[in-house]
Parts: sequence; C-alpha cells; structure tokens
Amino acid sequence: MATRTVTFEIKRQAGPDAPAVWESFELEWRPGMNVVSAMMEIAANPVTADGKPTTPIVYDSNCLEEICGSCAMKINGRARMACSALVDNLEQPIRVEPLTKFPLVRDLQVDRSVLFENLMRVKAWVPVDGTYDLGSGPRVYPQEQEANYPLSNCISCTCCMEVCPQFNEATDFVGAATIAQVKLFNNHPTGKVFKEDRLRALAGDGGIQECGYAQNCVEACPKQIPLTNAISDVGRDVLTQKVKDWLRG
Amino acid sequence: MAAPRIIVVGGGLAGLAAVIKIAEAGGTVDLFSIVPVKRSHSVCAQGGINAAKNLKGEGDTTAQHFDDTIYGGDFLANQTPVKGMCEQAPAIVDLLDRMGVPFNRTPEGLLDFRRFGGTLYHRTAFAGATTGQQLLYALDEQVRRYEAEGKVHKYEGWEFLSAIIDGKGIARGIVAMDLRTMELRAFAADAIILATGGIGAIFGKSTNSVVCTGSAQSAVFQQGVYYANGEFIQVHPTSIPGEDKLRLMSESARGEGGRVWVPRTVGDKRAVKAIPESERFYFLEEWYPTYGNLVPRDVATRAIHKVVYELGLGLDGQPMVYLDLTHIDRETLHHKLGGILEIYEKFVGVDPCVEPMKIFPGMHYTMGGLWVDVNQMTNISGIFAAGECEYQYHGANRLGANSLISCIYGGFQAGPNALRYAKSASAAEGDGGAAAEVARQAEINGKLLRNEGGENPFKLWRELGREMTEHATVIRYNKDLKATDQKIVELLDRFQHINLSDKSQWANTSFAFTRQLKNMLELSRTVVLGALLRDESRGAHYKPDFPERNDEKFLQTTKASFTGCDEGPRFEYEEVDTQYIKPRPRRYDAAK
Amino acid sequence: MATVQSSAVPTVRRGVEPLRAGQGTSFIWHKLHSLLGIVPIGAFLLEHLLSNFEALKGPVAYGEQVRFLNSLPLVRVLEWVFIFLPILYHGIYGVYIWLRGKSNIVYYPWAGNWMYLSQRYTGIVAFAYIIQHVLRQRFMGIMLPEHPGAAFWKVQHELANPWMVAVYVIAMICVCWHFAYGVWLFAAKWGITPGEVARRRFAYVCAVLGVLLAAMGIASIWAFTGPKYQNAPADVRLSTLVAPAHSGAAFHSIGSQLMI
Repeated sequence: MATRTVTFEIKRQAGPDAPAVWESFELEWRPGMNVVSAMMEIAANPVTADGKPTTPIVYDSNCLEEICGSCAMKINGRARMACSALVDNLEQPIRVEPLTKFPLVRDLQVDRSVLFENLMRVKAWVPVDGTYDLGSGPRVYPQEQEANYPLSNCISCTCCMEVCPQFNEATDFVGAATIAQVKLFNNHPTGKVFKEDRLRALAGDGGIQECGYAQNCVEACPKQIPLTNAISDVGRDVLTQKVKDWLRG
Repeated sequence: MAAPRIIVVGGGLAGLAAVIKIAEAGGTVDLFSIVPVKRSHSVCAQGGINAAKNLKGEGDTTAQHFDDTIYGGDFLANQTPVKGMCEQAPAIVDLLDRMGVPFNRTPEGLLDFRRFGGTLYHRTAFAGATTGQQLLYALDEQVRRYEAEGKVHKYEGWEFLSAIIDGKGIARGIVAMDLRTMELRAFAADAIILATGGIGAIFGKSTNSVVCTGSAQSAVFQQGVYYANGEFIQVHPTSIPGEDKLRLMSESARGEGGRVWVPRTVGDKRAVKAIPESERFYFLEEWYPTYGNLVPRDVATRAIHKVVYELGLGLDGQPMVYLDLTHIDRETLHHKLGGILEIYEKFVGVDPCVEPMKIFPGMHYTMGGLWVDVNQMTNISGIFAAGECEYQYHGANRLGANSLISCIYGGFQAGPNALRYAKSASAAEGDGGAAAEVARQAEINGKLLRNEGGENPFKLWRELGREMTEHATVIRYNKDLKATDQKIVELLDRFQHINLSDKSQWANTSFAFTRQLKNMLELSRTVVLGALLRDESRGAHYKPDFPERNDEKFLQTTKASFTGCDEGPRFEYEEVDTQYIKPRPRRYDAAK
Repeated sequence: MATVQSSAVPTVRRGVEPLRAGQGTSFIWHKLHSLLGIVPIGAFLLEHLLSNFEALKGPVAYGEQVRFLNSLPLVRVLEWVFIFLPILYHGIYGVYIWLRGKSNIVYYPWAGNWMYLSQRYTGIVAFAYIIQHVLRQRFMGIMLPEHPGAAFWKVQHELANPWMVAVYVIAMICVCWHFAYGVWLFAAKWGITPGEVARRRFAYVCAVLGVLLAAMGIASIWAFTGPKYQNAPADVRLSTLVAPAHSGAAFHSIGSQLMI
C-alpha cells in the first residue's frame, strides 16, 4: 500500500515587510497527527512538495495541549489552535496562515501583546493587601465558583479578537477576552473594589461600545467561554456606571 | 547605594512568585521569559496543589504532609526545606485563594480538597482540572499589577543565554537574546534568579511544553553551577501518547475515583463494555491494596510497565492500559475534571465519560536540578534558582500536587533572599565582565551561522529524545546508560556539523532552538551518567540489577559539575539532611 | 551595556491600539445611536405603520388621520427634534460604524455574523429609502400639512409606478428587519438579555414583531395599489367635525407623511 500523505499549504513571510509566498509540503500521514506535529516534521526536513529546500516554519507554540494559548493561527480559513487541529478532521490541502488582525512578525508568528496591555488597562487583578499570611480568602459558594471558572479559563489565544469584525485598526476595539476578564474580576469579592474603574475604562475609546454583537467570538472560542453573556452583563454595568457618574456630576 | 537590581529568568509559577515578593518588598525586577509569561509551562499543571489544611476532618497535619513528601521522595530530599514548604503550604493556598484563584468549593463556601497519589488524606486544593493555569494566571495578574506600577519590567520574547560572572566568581547580570531581532544584550543585575522549569525536551516527547529544554540550567551548569540529582526523572503513569507530545492525563482522574485496568486475558478482543468485572485486572488495586490507584507515580509507572512488557497485557498488544472513569456520573466528572476530559476528547476523539481512556507512562517532571542551598542560592554567588529547575523539594520522586506548592514556595524563598543578598552585594568592577560575555555568546552565534555540514538540529534532537526515553526513564541498565552516553557524545560531535537551513537574523526560531539543543546535549549527560553511577533503586530511579535502595552508599545528593572534557561531568556526593525523619523502607501495599 | 546587533532590523507594525481606558467620547455617541434607534425612531416607526393602516379604510379615513396629526401643537418642532434629526444621526453614525467594521462572513459564515452583515445592509437601504421618501412625500409635490385631503392621492400617485412599489416593498422589509433585529441587539448589548436562553427567546419575539410590522406595512401598500380605492380623488373632502377617536403622540402628524 502506498503511504498516505497529507498536503499543507503554508503562507510564508520572511518579515513584516517581506512579500508573502505560499509553500506547499507533502508529508507522510500519521495517526493522531495535528498541524503542529506537521510543522515539526517540516523543521526536521525543510523541503517543499516540489523538492525545493526551504527553512523551518516560524510559529508560536508551547504547551500543545490547548491551554497556553500560543499556537493560534488560521487553518483552512478559520482562526483556531494549531495543536488541537487534527489533520484527520481537516480538508486538504490544509491551508495555514497567520492571524490577520495582529502585526506580523514572521511566517505564522504575530504580535498579540495588545491583549496583555488591555488586561493591564482594565486592572484585571485582585488587589491583595500583601502576600503575607492574612488567613483564608473570602467565602465563595460553589454556584459562584461555577459561574466564574469558565471566565477564568481564557487562554489569551486572541481567537475571539481575530474573528471579530469590529476588532481592527479603525475601531481599536478591546475585544471580547478583556471584557470577559472584567466580568470575572468584578464578580470577585475583593476584585470588586476596582469595579468602577474597570467599567469606566471599558467606556473609553475602543471600549465595549464598539462591539457589534456578531457573536463570532463565542463561536470561535476554543474554551467555550460565554463571551456574549459577558459582553451583555458588562455592557449593562458600564452603562449603569456612566449614568451614575453623570447623575452624580 | 543604588537600588538593587534583580533579574528573574522564567515567568512560570516560581519566577512570578519571586517577582511578586521582590516587588512587594520595594525592589524592582527585570523579568525575562521566552514566551509571554502567561503562556509558561505551569499553565499545564492540572490536578491541584497540596496543603494540609485539614478541612475534611481527617486530622491531616503539615507534619503528615512533610512525612508523605519525604517518604514519597524515598528520603533523598533534604528535610529542612521540605519541612518549611509543608508548613507554609496552607498559608500559600490561602493567599492564592485571596488572589482570586477559582478553587472548587464546598457547599459552605470553603475550599474543597481531593485525594492525590502518595497520601491517604484529602489534601489537594484544586480548580477543576486546570489548577496550574488558574494559579499561573493569579500570579501573572499580580505581576501585571506591579508592572503597571513600574516595579517590574518584562522582557518577553527574550531568551536567557548565560550569566555574567566576574573575575571573583560573582554573578553580575545576564546575557539575553531578543528572539525577534536576534540582538544580544547584557543586562546588569546584583542578583539573578533562574526559574526556568524542567528539561522535558531532552526526552524528545514528554508532557512538558516546548520551552522546557533545560537550556538555561545547562548554560549556568556549564558556567560552574552544580547540577544535583539529575538522574531523577519522573515518568507520569498516565499520559496520552501523541505525535507531537505526550499529553498529561492528570492524577486527579484517579484522585476522583479513576481505575486503571487491563483485560486479564492476553489479546482479549471484546469491546470494553463486554468485559465483565471479574475478567478485568485492576492491577494497582490488587498489588497495592492500601493506596490502590493512588500509589505514587514511580510505583504506578513501573506497575504499568510490568503489565505491558512483562505480562504482555497491553491493550491490543500496544503499550497502553485503561484509565476508567465511566463508573462515575458525567455531572461529577464535568464539575471536577472538566478541563482534562476535554483534552482527551479533543485529541483522541473519544468521550472518556463513555469509554475508558487509553494511557501510557510519559516523561513528566525533573526532580533534579540546579544545586541550591537553603537560601535557594547556587554555588555561584548571586545566582539563585527556584521551581522545577532546582532540586530541593522532591527527593527521588515527587508526589502529585507538590510541584505547584514547591514552585511557589521556592519563589517566595528565592525572591526575598535574592533581594537581601543584592542589598549587601559589593559593586561590580567595571562592567563586571559583560562585554566579554556578550562577545563569547556572539562567537557561539557566529559559529553556528558559519557552520558547514549536513546535520539537521531537529533530527539530532529526535535521536537524543529516543535514546533518552528508551534508556534513561522507567527502567535503567548500566550497559544501556553507557551506550546512551556514548550516543550523546556522538551527537555532540555531530552538532559541530549542523548546517542551519535558516541563517537569517530575524525571528529565527530554529536558530534559537539549535542553541538550546547544544545545552540539552550537555545536560543530558548529567542525567545519564548520574543514573549510571547510582547503583541502587530509589524513587523514580530503578535498576533491575540493583532493585533495592542502598542508604549506606547512596543516601546522598548527586552533584555534577561541568568539566568540558569528553569524559563528561565530574560527580561528587553530599550527605542528605535527614534530621527530622529517619529513613525507613518505602512501601505502598500497606499503611506506612 | 554591551550589545551585539546586526544592522537593518525590520520593525513590526503597530497594529490595533490598546484600550484608551476611560478616554474619549465614542461611548456616548455609540449609545446615543443605539438608543435613538429604539426611541424615538422605533417608536415613530410603530406609530407610522399604525397610521398607514388607516389607509385600508379608504382615502377619507386616511386624510383625516393626516389632518389630525398635523393639528397637534408645535408639530413642526416635534417633527424635526423627534424624527428628522434622530434619523439623520442614526443613519449617518450608522454608516460610520459600518465603515469601521470589517465583515468576514466569507471565513465565518455563522448566524450571528450574517445578522451583523444584514443589519448593515438593511440599514443602508432603509436610510437611502427614507431620504428619498421624506424628500418626495414631505417636501415635494402637494404639501400635505396644508392639504391633508390629498394624502391618499399623493401616495397612490407615487405608487402608480411599479418600480416604486418594488422600492417600497423592499424598503418596508428592510426597515422592519433592521428595526426588529435592532431591538434584539439593543436588548443584548444593553444587558437586558444577558443569557443565552433569554436571547434565544427574545429572538423569537423580535422575529414575530418584524414579520408582523412588515406584513402591516405591505398591507398598507396594498391599500393604495389594490383595486378597492383605484383613482382616488386628488383632494377628498374631510368632515370638519370628526376627530379621530384615538389621540396619540405628537409625531402622529408627521408620520403619515413620511412613510408608508
């Protein structure tokens, strides 16, 4: 029996200003193969389908378990995590491109630091008094934990931002991930102390108002985070806060 | 005197814990990480974090936790630091709780605890099955807060290459490489803390993340830091074999009642469900009635090995056994194990609530690491280490859910100690050797780019991984270890002939990897030769030719130092601190 | 300190800017846009469609409705403040919002994404239609405030052109679609329906509302184009005593002139 092969088409770009070229690769099929393992295979044998030597693909990856959020890229047109993109579930040729909404570094590597900056701007943390022993934390009932845990599962992969029609350089929209984190920290008994600050922050330019509720975020989220629910809840809270601020002068 | 400058390398739990302590004490920190810190390998920890809070009315104590840890580690760990860790654990879990980690709760709103391997107590606090992720995020958020206050400066996407060590043997800073521009730069510091994790990549496929190469440890090892207990490598009994890596299936699956079994008959072709209870071989429960499926990892791993390779009972003749959760209701599973079941379903395509998972042992954790003293400082003044990259807390085998606590505790120790050290450190003369070190690294880079030859770094790496996994994990024979060392020497030689297909100087990940590979090769020799020299069986280190523990000869910490010669590292041994608990035989078929 | 760096390093583009926390005024303008779509524009739409429904009773009833609405106090002021200006703002700002979004329906053909796109297209159709409708029916031809009896004739005359009927029917559907989905969006974004189930239920409500309104509107068009009131007189005599039994909000008056 002839060996089964898998065909990949990968968009290459040597640098931010370099022209984009597509390269195809033909690899031997293996059970359980995913897009990252294909990329590893190419690194060990960097030759294109037509026999031309090339360079290993540059891409971000780390845990390969869909928990670190590194390897988001566009696979067959859709933003998703490369590690959990099993070859057997993909139509061939498998077309791999970098995310389009973030500044390109090289090949499939992009700069997604804007998300971390956004998290800083909404004070996405619980301001503890100190790390010394202050006894146990506030009581949290299982129902509350169950509501918050999914939000805390956000892996910062930025898929929700990539697929959002409103996340672009015209709107400078903050994106769903950050909004969900605002909800998470506003829900926390201690995190609440910054609730008003966070809500005011989200009313700034690029804030929650830019959401067009296309709901792509929630469709694309690899962690099934209830992002649209978060946008609704936080949207109401931001508005209430602004009205309160206005009435109080 | 100017405010002390401290560099932390590594943004996992240990690194971030150290950063937080330093920033809180008023210091400023430069934090270096290859990946954005929120993507560090700590994120992969699943099951939970141990702390003897005794919230289940079982009479658990920190002394009991201490004893379990020492016993689980087969008495190789120095007892003073472990005692400190176990005593601090409850306060650390409380702190994490205050930081907003969404731990699972009891109906009364208190922390819930589950059982883990190597203990009979419910001692493991958990946030679903993504505890590491939740803990890492909590610390990441605190660090982001200090970053906003200007106390922390992050260098994400920078790789640590080496320490700058002056003529007096004192660390004065680091040389790092910007992984985008490939720029080499020296950063001055009065103290540096390495928190660079495990060395999984040395074994090719492991449960570790891509960045866990041990490159940073190896770099300072080659600069004179001792590497201790390198031969102690934990192989996790339950991982999911994959093309690109071995994905962890958390011990919490067994903590919540998961059972490991194989069909009693060799080559049983029936569907899983059709095999009656009486024809299922629950070998852990039969062999270890007291601890059952929750024996420590080294014990479980060897048992699976035996079932598969000696008894030939692997599923369909493959090296795999069942990990069965199907007797537990879906609701409970989702609530307590959601994250990991999702991983299995995503990567294997089978719902573990319906069908038992197929698992096999996989390289998981590095018990050994940089040698440190009780203050977490290595033998080079000013270089500290914390977390998985140092050797202190787990002896010959780590207990499940002790890694998260050891990382945070280690970071909490290293941070303040480094700050104290930095405040009293003498000023460097001149640039402290920075320019020379940058030049040395530039030369290494230059050589790599100029190399001619036919070797591919990724192929060399695969060969290394195969060799290490085959001969230096579960079962070790001296003959094979010797051959493996020879193989590594050969690989080191072939390394000289690597011809990079990508010689560009922009975001060249294969170039950075090749640099790491050199360090991986150097470090792997400490693992192999350390194992070769230890003619006994202890914890994760098992030699069928020497099946017993030999306290008389080997109740000693292995300390390897780099020589640069072909013979490999020099080994010496150091007395283990056993002042609190006298060593006794370790067995899990009965209560201890 | 010492560095080694090769020359000619590429620079990475800036990309999407981080949130300008708490800065700027776009929040107000967005929320105003959103609110105006419901009140007064949405409310006016309902009124208008109800008034149009009078046309089914014939030219006299329709003319009287128009006259009544025009008899309200300060009607010209109300007309500008509650109808023209809000629609103008909603329309222009809506176009601005559209231009800044980048639809990606090709890659992500999901229901919500289709609706996102539809809201933009129905919006632009509605806006273009409304502009021509206001110009032709309110500011051109016979002035209905002075000659309410000519209302039926004026509309019928406009719809004598079959192309125009098509325009009105299409616009009617777009307006009702835009409004119905707009109500759903409003509830979702203002946090009135923060749950999955609530949003799904409310989607049914909005769908029914949209279909109902469109059906009413098309029925009214039928009243002008159907056989029953063919060749209505250019100016019907309105009874001097009759006032409509129901009294409504001030913008009734303008309603009958602005839209079908």
